[in-house]
Amino acid sequence: MKIRFTVNGRVEEKDVREDERLLDVIRDDLQLTGTKEGCGEGECGACTVLIDGKAVVSCLILAPQVDGKEILTIEGLAPGEELHPIQRAFVEKGAVQCGFCTPGFIMSTYALLTSNIDPSDEEILAALEGNLCRCTGYAKIIEAVRYAAELMRRQK
Amino acid sequence: MHHYMKIKRVPELLERITDPGARILCGGTDLVVKMRSGAIDPTLLLDISDTEALRGIEGKEDRLIIGAATTVSEIIADRLVAEKLPLLQTVLRTLGSTQIRNRATLGGNLVNASPAADSAIPLLLYQADVNISGIHGDRRVPVEDFLVAPGKTTLTSGEFVRGVSIPAPNAAFGSFFHKVGRRKAMIIAIASLGALVSMKDDVINEIRLAAGSVAPRPIRMRELEQAITGKLVTKALIEHAKTMAINSVSPIDDVRASADYRREVIGELVARVMRDAVSG
Repeated sequence: MKIRFTVNGRVEEKDVREDERLLDVIRDDLQLTGTKEGCGEGECGACTVLIDGKAVVSCLILAPQVDGKEILTIEGLAPGEELHPIQRAFVEKGAVQCGFCTPGFIMSTYALLTSNIDPSDEEILAALEGNLCRCTGYAKIIEAVRYAAELMRRQK
Repeated sequence: MHHYMKIKRVPELLERITDPGARILCGGTDLVVKMRSGAIDPTLLLDISDTEALRGIEGKEDRLIIGAATTVSEIIADRLVAEKLPLLQTVLRTLGSTQIRNRATLGGNLVNASPAADSAIPLLLYQADVNISGIHGDRRVPVEDFLVAPGKTTLTSGEFVRGVSIPAPNAAFGSFFHKVGRRKAMIIAIASLGALVSMKDDVINEIRLAAGSVAPRPIRMRELEQAITGKLVTKALIEHAKTMAINSVSPIDDVRASADYRREVIGELVARVMRDAVSG
């Protein structure tokens, strides 16, 4: 069936299978492979993207469901060649090891910081609780989120 | 492979709901997982996630009506719910993760009818009704009767959950909720206990207790409630309540915990609520 939606600011019209997932459309049809598939059942958060500004797991959303919606993936964050402050913070604070979970963590962080620029540690933990990382032990990720918030506050 | 249909208005839903193999889809956080594991194989998906008539929260006299397709995140952010039904928000904050709460809905959590359904605990305590609509008309069922067994509700063919109607309690209740699992996020409870308690000095004036993951469905612990109402909370009463709680549940062994462990946990949670009610 035909669906029309916006991905990273660009209007897309696609003919999708009715059992295809949003994740499949993003990775296979649009070739935006920054979004990763981890568990495929909503537990790990590697496939996190934003729909209308809210963090969701794209592995549990069927493609026809996003007709008319606005999607943001990791590829849509950096405004050109420069990194987004959240990406910069993750790099500078060493919050990346193997990197597989990183796009998901950054999208969850983006959803948090665009609605709450000065989150408490508790709010950071709640925003990231749906993302698993098997390398870092999370301390550096949380540090990076605090730093990203600071960078974004400074930009304002 | 299934067909997909976006439902805009309730009459469209009624038209297709009895089609063979039809299933209602909303947030998909349970349904899509089950479809992909092969546990279910619907031939027609009726997506109600954008059905406006089934979404939203409204106050009507002393009740709050929450549409079935309202997301958990929307309920957590709602001011009216914060004011009238604080325990509903406390409990829903522990459901899944941020990503899941942004999609999962109150109606979905109920019809999924898991013995561990988080939303059932506050709905049992607030004595909510489930508003059911269908091809033969509307009816209203207490949540306590709606949930029957794992995956089983009193919904019949041609019916769907329109929403939940929750009376705001007039008494000043203290509210308590404990959920036990291996981590805080994304867990299915090993056992959970919610309570609404009104105390007069150290005497229990009124108490409502609801437990999850310790029976085929989330349960109100009515016998235990009756046994301790009007009583002064003492060490002996707490011990008695603990024993009653352990004997009143019927948990199972599964991958998350043994039945014996669940019994121990529910006893301890009842004791904890009683101790906190006195000191609070």
